[in-house]
Amino acid sequence: MDLVGGIVLVIGSLFILLAAVGTVRFTDIYARMHAAAKGPALGVMLVGIGTAMTIRSIPATVGVSLVIMLQLVTGAVGSHMLSRSVYRKLRPPLDGTDELAEREAHE
Amino acid sequence: MTDLAFAILSLAAILFVVRLLRGPSVPDRVVALDGLLITVMCAVLVGAADQGSAIGIDTVIVVALLGFISTGVLARYVEQRGG
Repeated sequence: MDLVGGIVLVIGSLFILLAAVGTVRFTDIYARMHAAAKGPALGVMLVGIGTAMTIRSIPATVGVSLVIMLQLVTGAVGSHMLSRSVYRKLRPPLDGTDELAEREAHE
Repeated sequence: MTDLAFAILSLAAILFVVRLLRGPSVPDRVVALDGLLITVMCAVLVGAADQGSAIGIDTVIVVALLGFISTGVLARYVEQRGG
């Protein structure tokens, strides 16, 4: 159980590293935001599961599941808030059609 | 195993700091700070697994909420003042 928990911990840390690499390497603010929002969700989930598997007690498991649920909810909402304000204020160049502009003009 | 996880998380923290220093606009820095906070959360979780006790997990819950609130505040700042 300790070995499996350690392996899950390392895989979760690798997902965090993947998010960091994407944040550094991508060229667009939206691409960077996507890398920084999706990777850590799975990374925190795997690290939490690995921690719970290593500690194996009720308070640790309850706390870790609370952390995972909070991360899943707040990560998506926070990055959506940030990308909305970037779209409205900074207006970075897009590489395609802008469907959101039609929608916002319609409202 | 926890040492390897600590090493990987340190590398991720260094990369986030690179983006924090380089990032051309404010939202880039916000993204980097958020990622740095998540890296700290994961490091505290790995530390709890290393110690074998649930002592740091309350801290992780507080840091997660703090990161969400700070991201929201900074998004509002970007929307009103510009990046």
